[in-house]
Amino acid sequence: METLGFLMDGFAVALTPYNLMFALFGAFVGTLIGCLPGLGPANGVAILIPLAFTLGLPPETAMILLTSVYAGAMYGGRISSILLNIPGDEPAMMTCLDGYPMAQKGRAADALAISAIASFAGSLIGTIGLIMLAPVLARFALTFGPAEYFALFLLAFATLGGITGKNPMKTVIAAAMGIMISTVGIDISTGTQRYTGGVLELYEGIDFILAIVGLFAISELLFFVEARMGKGRSKVKMGKMTLTFKEVVSTVPTQLRGGLLGFIAGVLPGAGASLGSFISYTLEKSVLGKKGRFGEGDIRGVVAPEAGNNGAASGALVPMLTLGVPGSGTTAVLLAMLISLNITPGPLMFTQNADIVWGVIAALLIGNVLLLILNIPMIGVFVRLLSVPPMYLLPIVTMVAFVGIYSISHSTFDLYFMILFGVGGYLLRKLEIPLVPIILGLLLGPEMEKNLGHALILSDGDWTTLWSSPLSIGLWLVAGLGLVLPTLVGPILRRRMRNAIKEGPVSD
Amino acid sequence: MTGLGDRILGLCLLVLAVAYGWVAQQWPEPFGGTEGVGPETFPTMLAVVLAVGSLYLMVKPDADTQWPVGKTALELVVSIIVLVIYALLLEPLGFVISTTLAVGALSWRMGAPAKSAFAVGLVSAIAVFGLFNYGLSLSLPTGLLGDF
Repeated sequence: METLGFLMDGFAVALTPYNLMFALFGAFVGTLIGCLPGLGPANGVAILIPLAFTLGLPPETAMILLTSVYAGAMYGGRISSILLNIPGDEPAMMTCLDGYPMAQKGRAADALAISAIASFAGSLIGTIGLIMLAPVLARFALTFGPAEYFALFLLAFATLGGITGKNPMKTVIAAAMGIMISTVGIDISTGTQRYTGGVLELYEGIDFILAIVGLFAISELLFFVEARMGKGRSKVKMGKMTLTFKEVVSTVPTQLRGGLLGFIAGVLPGAGASLGSFISYTLEKSVLGKKGRFGEGDIRGVVAPEAGNNGAASGALVPMLTLGVPGSGTTAVLLAMLISLNITPGPLMFTQNADIVWGVIAALLIGNVLLLILNIPMIGVFVRLLSVPPMYLLPIVTMVAFVGIYSISHSTFDLYFMILFGVGGYLLRKLEIPLVPIILGLLLGPEMEKNLGHALILSDGDWTTLWSSPLSIGLWLVAGLGLVLPTLVGPILRRRMRNAIKEGPVSD
Repeated sequence: MTGLGDRILGLCLLVLAVAYGWVAQQWPEPFGGTEGVGPETFPTMLAVVLAVGSLYLMVKPDADTQWPVGKTALELVVSIIVLVIYALLLEPLGFVISTTLAVGALSWRMGAPAKSAFAVGLVSAIAVFGLFNYGLSLSLPTGLLGDF
């Protein structure tokens, strides 16, 4: 019952009017970020970091703001899936399958309402899972030594590409590049200048925030310029709400199954929200069999993936908060915020910064209620904002990114650097080098080197110490599997996901 | 030849890896000697990993993606130039003027009518400037417009 006490303390933090205001603001902005195509959750959270930073928000408020944005983005993704048949973010892909047909049949309002309820249920289940699992995992993680941490970081990189990842070698390359960027600057343990070339601005290293904003925001702008999608797409009419209470009740089992599966997929390394929503959709389809009319606008086909991806979103916070090792792009960006707030992520956070951790968890619960309220009566506001064409939206988003980066240091040098990262990010994305491992490399590189150093000092320079305990051997094995499995299982899973989408009558 | 993009990338990364690894070997040994790990240990490991990865890319490249050509490529270059000019002019011209120009130019190039593009630019610039300078008291450069 210790946990419950902490949770109550968390509520005390999250329920102060100041924090509540930021949670509401975050939930609103998050939903907006989620529903606008071209502004993904990782991207949106990244742009808000410099703002949270320059506003001088206290750490718990900053984290509450960003976590609410994160939760909101997961809600928002469904809006454009249902109305435009394009997912607002990647996990909302499966929601298109039944959401858009439902909208075409004139039940768009119902689809939006039921998916908001499903998101709420999924998120609630995920957060309850987080509350139960996180303290246990954090206690376990206290037994990790530097060698185990080093192996754990390797595992994080190896599984980041996910089981459905295309080319694991490209993940490795991306991670190596990210860590390399993080070695620029003065070496913390010896004071040696590394790769600075005598440029004063580089002595402190490259600020990962500007790298993240550049890689995401600027490269996204360039992608839209290339795709010439400035005008946006036509949208289905909303129609009247005809959802009955009975219908909502009939989807409760689907919501529970979806949320639970999603949570598990979120916690496991290498799975993530996209796979979470895919698994819960396919399971629902096989459980209901002939009784459901999936792909033609079955209400449960909207509920399952939404519950799944919101459950996964909360699940993905478990490794991020307890181990300091995020498993997805957006949680990596949340980690960036923690690091720039000078909080060492990992198991110690649960004892040293208990107010922040539990404040965030409580904020997640409160944010969910706020989101449900925002997303049912106020859905019209978001729908109207959805018709802002990207040709106005993306330049403004880019401008906000500029302002954010500029206001951290008031130096234009950083802006050039950000543009450089943006162009680099565009080229790498074109070459199918994933960006998330680069960011994770930037964030975890220094920690990784520090742990390597500690492990080797403890063992008097004996390298075998890195794989001498059963725990670290286990971590190395999973890391190895993480690289090998995608080449074996990946093609099959990818084909299935593609087939599932092709079966939908609306896809062309 | 298929996979040309990956092969070129692989070559560039190999050069990077070798240069990165070589530079790491040039650092003087830190004062007091090293215990297990010096400043060069970790970079050397990274250089090896990246070198192996880049060799793999050159040997087994993925299929090529569509690269923008002609007008689209030009639009991309124009966008990047607009961003660089924006950063360049932010301080001398001030936030409101440079933002109006930058947001307007980008929207216009993305397909909006010129008049409404620059109008959106102006409105967003004033809104953000007001929010930052008066709401959040973070000073953005005023430039030509002077202090007010």
